[in-house]
Amino acid sequence: MSYGGGYPQQPRIQSGVNMSMAEQELEMVTTLFNNIVDSCHTKCIATRYHDNELNKGESVCIDRCVAKYFEVNMKVGQKLTAQANQGQQIV
Amino acid sequence: MDFSGLSDMDRGRMNAYIEQKQMKDFLRLYANLVDRCFENCVNDFTSKALSSKEDTCLNRCVDKFIKHSERVGLRFGEQNALLQQQQQAQMSGQAPPQ
Repeated sequence: MSYGGGYPQQPRIQSGVNMSMAEQELEMVTTLFNNIVDSCHTKCIATRYHDNELNKGESVCIDRCVAKYFEVNMKVGQKLTAQANQGQQIV
Repeated sequence: MDFSGLSDMDRGRMNAYIEQKQMKDFLRLYANLVDRCFENCVNDFTSKALSSKEDTCLNRCVDKFIKHSERVGLRFGEQNALLQQQQQAQMSGQAPPQ
């Protein structure tokens, strides 16, 4: 998370709350961010490198890629939660 | 992150954790970027030195990755804020305050 203006989320962490929960939350957000950077770079950035600027197509692709990744993230989360609630084992 | 609600000890621990995590993330990013740019730019092994073409490609690859990463960071922040708004709206809908 060295780029992109640091940690995007601004939750207020309270003392007394389990610190490992805060760490887990941070871990989750950074993992998500890193995965999005990797995945959207592979999907959106042309590897010919004609110049060092993002062109219009790539920029639009990145915007949509991030939004879609969030949607997929939510969908998978919901499905896993539903499965867990049904008491089925996730293999 | 807002750590004003933490005790001094917890804040110290949290800062140490974040520092460690940032270092780890940076090393990961570095290694990944080397791999990505090497894969994309270096394919000719008739010489052991980087050609000027490869060198130009590498520079663009790194520059572009940083710009990409910044843009993702921006959109990530927006999407994350949206998600939190939705979750908050959902929570207040489930348990309305008295």
